[in-house]
Amino acid sequence: MSLIAIIDDDPDIIEATSLVLKSRGFSVCTASNPDEGYKIIKENNPDLIILDVMMDEPDDGFFMAQKLRRDKVKTPILMYTSVSKTIGFEYGQGEMVPVDDFVEKPISPEELIEKVKLLLKKVEA
Amino acid sequence: MQNSKPHILIVDDEKGLRVGTHRLLESEGYIVQSAENGLTGIKYGTEREFDLAIIDLKMPDVDGLEVLQKIKKVFPFTVCFIATAFASYDTAIEATRIGAYGYIPKPFTPEELIYQIEKGYKHRKLLLESERLKKEKEESLLEIASEKSRLKTILESISDGVLVVNKSGEVVYYNNASLKLLGFDEIKIGQQILGNLPEEINEKINRYLQPDSVVNKSRTVQIELNHNSQVFIEAVCSPVLHTDGSFAGVVIVLKNITEFKKIEFIKNQFVSMVAHELKAPVAAVSGFIKLILDKSFNISNEQQEDYLRRSGVRLNGLLDLVNDLLDISRMETKTKQREIEDLDIKEIILNTLQFLEIDIKNKNIKVDINFEDNIPSLKADQNEITRLFTNIFSNAIKYNRTDGSIKVSLSIDKNYLKIKISDTGIGMRPEDKDRMFNEFFRAKNKFTQNISGTGLGLSIVKRIIDSYYGKIDVESEYNVGSTFTIYLPIILPQAGELTTNYVGVQNVTNRNY
Repeated sequence: MSLIAIIDDDPDIIEATSLVLKSRGFSVCTASNPDEGYKIIKENNPDLIILDVMMDEPDDGFFMAQKLRRDKVKTPILMYTSVSKTIGFEYGQGEMVPVDDFVEKPISPEELIEKVKLLLKKVEA
Repeated sequence: MQNSKPHILIVDDEKGLRVGTHRLLESEGYIVQSAENGLTGIKYGTEREFDLAIIDLKMPDVDGLEVLQKIKKVFPFTVCFIATAFASYDTAIEATRIGAYGYIPKPFTPEELIYQIEKGYKHRKLLLESERLKKEKEESLLEIASEKSRLKTILESISDGVLVVNKSGEVVYYNNASLKLLGFDEIKIGQQILGNLPEEINEKINRYLQPDSVVNKSRTVQIELNHNSQVFIEAVCSPVLHTDGSFAGVVIVLKNITEFKKIEFIKNQFVSMVAHELKAPVAAVSGFIKLILDKSFNISNEQQEDYLRRSGVRLNGLLDLVNDLLDISRMETKTKQREIEDLDIKEIILNTLQFLEIDIKNKNIKVDINFEDNIPSLKADQNEITRLFTNIFSNAIKYNRTDGSIKVSLSIDKNYLKIKISDTGIGMRPEDKDRMFNEFFRAKNKFTQNISGTGLGLSIVKRIIDSYYGKIDVESEYNVGSTFTIYLPIILPQAGELTTNYVGVQNVTNRNY
């Protein structure tokens, strides 16, 4: 069964996301900041990473994704965003942001599961 | 003088001729004055301006030509005739050379004289008219020149850049501000400038320069330039028209909007942060509700209860945040409506501690109060100062350890009221200390992860202190505690002016918490 890493500084979001994923049979490991995040990724080698854009700093998640790609980590990344469309921090799907998909908070369980399954299928293919 | 009768001066030493001419001219309606010798002639002729003068060439005292010269020197437009019986070609030429209008040979008939005089008077009128026109022209030229220099002074003294190009794209006018804003070392009048301007401005100007374009609108463009530092410029391009409405050129007004852009950026960033902070609890609560409502997740009753409790905590946090934001916005807009009164700072501190008494007791924190005597009152808004100390003390409690302590001291330090608040809490790392007053900054470490806060408390504290021209110093050691020292400026009372108002509060000081 696939292992999914959730990196988010909001414990409630981690809780809800974990529950949704576990109830659909996924295994989950979690971290609440980028440093812990690197650690669980190196240790557990997950099949998918769910990453929050804003942690301590507005761009923490974004920089973490860049660093992972620089480190040749090819694991698909699904990025959680909350203010994606607000002026100032706008992200589009491009080479600039090396992630595979976005999901907007608050999360709908169905949408999350759908995106997770799609990304995992891509890796298998 | 134009409409009145002509004034004529007759200078002649020969009495018969002088008197005869005088009578003749008077009878013709002229106003006549006679001088019986050269010197008197000079005197009359230079005292006031005559329209015409008839001067005898040969006089015993002064030569007629000299009289002519003297009069002409003072009144160049007096038309002078030289009359003489010794008519010679040479004297005629000499007389004309030095300014005589005509030459009347003696003896002359009344008709000859009148004819000459009328001709001379016409000439006089022409002279005056041309002089008037000349003066008028000079005046209007002078006016234009001063208008130009006035305009130049105005354009040079404004901080916006002004650049005018003609329809060929050549510089017609520029001021020094435009030079600076565009980062040019040199602009020359007549220089072709289109190739040198930033692309965006060129493009706007070119629209006006199209042969068949009829543009009466101004066009604005904002551009970013990098001379030495990053500069944002707003360029407003407007057509300049001739008086007949035909196209003459384009005026470009350049405004430095760098500061405005900076503020806009900060504002956008703040809005973005606020949106994120507001959305985070909403997202968490909404996530929990979806899990509870979706029966497919099979959540136990205990878990449901936990989610609801956590949702409640998040919603309370959201409410705090909204209140803090309202406070900040109120502070931004209300600083001019604040109610300044004499405040007893001791009373405010004690009331604040009283207000937080439950939290103090729950953590079993010991509060040590040390107030100096004779503390003068502080002129400030009560709500703001109360808010300041509520935020400081609630932090000192929230981030303190159980059985910890808080020390409060109040003293006078030169022109400031000095309030020192020390806690035995979790302290701060040096890198966090630098950012503690930033909006939404919250130190993240193993101690803080279970403490809720909006990240606005100290930012509000800083805003209040700054608005009273005070200052705040922070000393902190991670895992040991923090000391906040607040300085608020006061007006020190003169000797003997210390009030007794504080006596009533003194006994409260010894209260135990």
